[in-house]
Amino acid sequence: MAQTDTHMSDSRPFTERLEPYIAIIGPMVMILAILMFMGIAEPARYFRATNLNLILLDAALYMPMAMAMTFVITQRGIDLSIGSIAALSSILMAFLIKQYGFSVYIAVPIAIALGAIMGLINGLIITRFNVPDLIGTLAMDLVYRGFALVIAKGLVLARFPDFLTEIGRGQIPGFIPIPVVLGIATMIGGYILLKRTYFGRYTIAIGSNPEAAELTGISVNRHKVYAYVLCGACAALAGVMLTGKLNAIQATSAPYFNLHVIAAVVVGGTSLFGGRASMLGSFAGVLLLSMMINALVTLRIEFFWQSVASGVVIVSSVALYAWMQKKDRDGAGGWLAGLQTPEGQKMLRFSAALIGILIALLAIGALFSGSAAPSG
Amino acid sequence: MATAFRRGIFLMAEPLIKMRGITKRFGGVTALSNVDLDAYAGEVLAIVGDNGAGKSTLIKVLTGVYQPTEGDIFLDDKPVRFSSHAEATAMGIDAVYQTLALADHLDPAANMFLGNELTRKVAGITFLDNKRMRSETERVLMERLGVRLKSMDAPTESLSGGQRQAVAIARAVYHDDLRVLVMDEPTAALGPQETARTLKLIETVKAQGIAVILISHSLDDVFQVSDRVHVQRRGRRVGVVKTSESNTQEVLGMIVGAEEAA
Repeated sequence: MAQTDTHMSDSRPFTERLEPYIAIIGPMVMILAILMFMGIAEPARYFRATNLNLILLDAALYMPMAMAMTFVITQRGIDLSIGSIAALSSILMAFLIKQYGFSVYIAVPIAIALGAIMGLINGLIITRFNVPDLIGTLAMDLVYRGFALVIAKGLVLARFPDFLTEIGRGQIPGFIPIPVVLGIATMIGGYILLKRTYFGRYTIAIGSNPEAAELTGISVNRHKVYAYVLCGACAALAGVMLTGKLNAIQATSAPYFNLHVIAAVVVGGTSLFGGRASMLGSFAGVLLLSMMINALVTLRIEFFWQSVASGVVIVSSVALYAWMQKKDRDGAGGWLAGLQTPEGQKMLRFSAALIGILIALLAIGALFSGSAAPSG
Repeated sequence: MATAFRRGIFLMAEPLIKMRGITKRFGGVTALSNVDLDAYAGEVLAIVGDNGAGKSTLIKVLTGVYQPTEGDIFLDDKPVRFSSHAEATAMGIDAVYQTLALADHLDPAANMFLGNELTRKVAGITFLDNKRMRSETERVLMERLGVRLKSMDAPTESLSGGQRQAVAIARAVYHDDLRVLVMDEPTAALGPQETARTLKLIETVKAQGIAVILISHSLDDVFQVSDRVHVQRRGRRVGVVKTSESNTQEVLGMIVGAEEAA
């Protein structure tokens, strides 16, 4: 056995060495496609420094949540309540600051702690009461959103202390915005968490083979709760960042967080079927979505097309990874042997199709926006 | 090393594991009735029998997954009682399941140390020591099992059936105090070549003075690696034969109960 195997190690095919990076290649190809397309269509307005800053600012908001959602999804879970957690915790923070005169330096940690508690409630509902994660978090989404509406009524709370606006849209002079630093820091923290700690290791084990994880003495439920707590805390952080960015918050803020974040994570190669996690992929996924939405805006395509584009990206990514995973399990003489040559081609073909769809979409959008009556 | 020492004392004097009068009832169903089992250090004991003969129940009692309704287990002549699988593992009795209980997306080193990770402290915070886990895995696979994987980075799902088996066995033998290794249908899902490799792994483990208990449906495998065969039928032990003094026909007869009819 030893001989044949050592012989193999030197001549590993290119595609096999590529394999760990597949997750990042998908979104990277799409990012490149957007860059190329925009380079032709609207180079002047898209590649302006202020516009790139805008893209980063938008992406930064989703980075903490994408980091936490990577853990939840890797454990075969899902959290559909992050938008409401972000809204509710930042509404509460806003009231603490505006109505009760709390210092912003205390109110922000309280908001994040509140988010963590809401995540804890999610986790306990899922693990203790055996409510499926999809239903449990969807229902809690309604609960949290409801509380936010009850507390804030129709109020828009605005004008916050500088510290908060700095978190949301501050700029390190000559460098990148502060929220981007925060976002990237959470992604790096998430990477370390995933690769170097018990929590990350057990997250993958739980998603990969729950029975085996249980057998080896891992407390599956406890680690599931940890992931939801992390998700809640990160959602609250995103809520704080959003409040700072807009310098205002209301109960209906952050309506699209859920699907946007899940889309970014899934596009980045983290498998909805569990076990396969890619923090770098989630980062690329967040960037990709922000760039795509910004491109649509730059092209003056109607706002509503964004939702169509996001949906297409999600469906095609999940379809691709589901397909790849099925290929894995067909076996028949080791899946690597069967997959090596077609792998790269498949990726290319799929990416080409996706780019085609995107371009078609943009073209349709451009056509419509061109012919439509001016509405302002 | 401890294994070399153990090899010296295995002279078939006393069984390492003695199970006496084991009975297990699930409600009204008697899965095992009054079963005795002896396993010696440095030998392979095969347990064979038809479906529902009580093979799995018997080893689950041994590995602490089930508690016997009646009967006693002796390890080194000392009576032991396991209230959980973890207690049995702590006493040096471990099992490799048919499904191998591997997390396919983790690399072999992560799997080998799953639930038992090596760590190091950086600035007071505990981090996993991936580098040391990797080198330890390589060492254990090579020294104890003579296996070398082509890549320690690849996820376990990309390994062949025999290599996955090796990782699962390495996880058990990593504990230096492992004394009894139970293997449940290790060759059931493997092709001929991988089966041969797995049987070789079993012999390697046996040579280190560990008592191997092998459950198998394949009499070919049983006759190739085992020293003795323990035959179960309908929850009872119908006999134990020395492999060298028996043949497939005889064991098959015991399994289906032809002998009694004759």
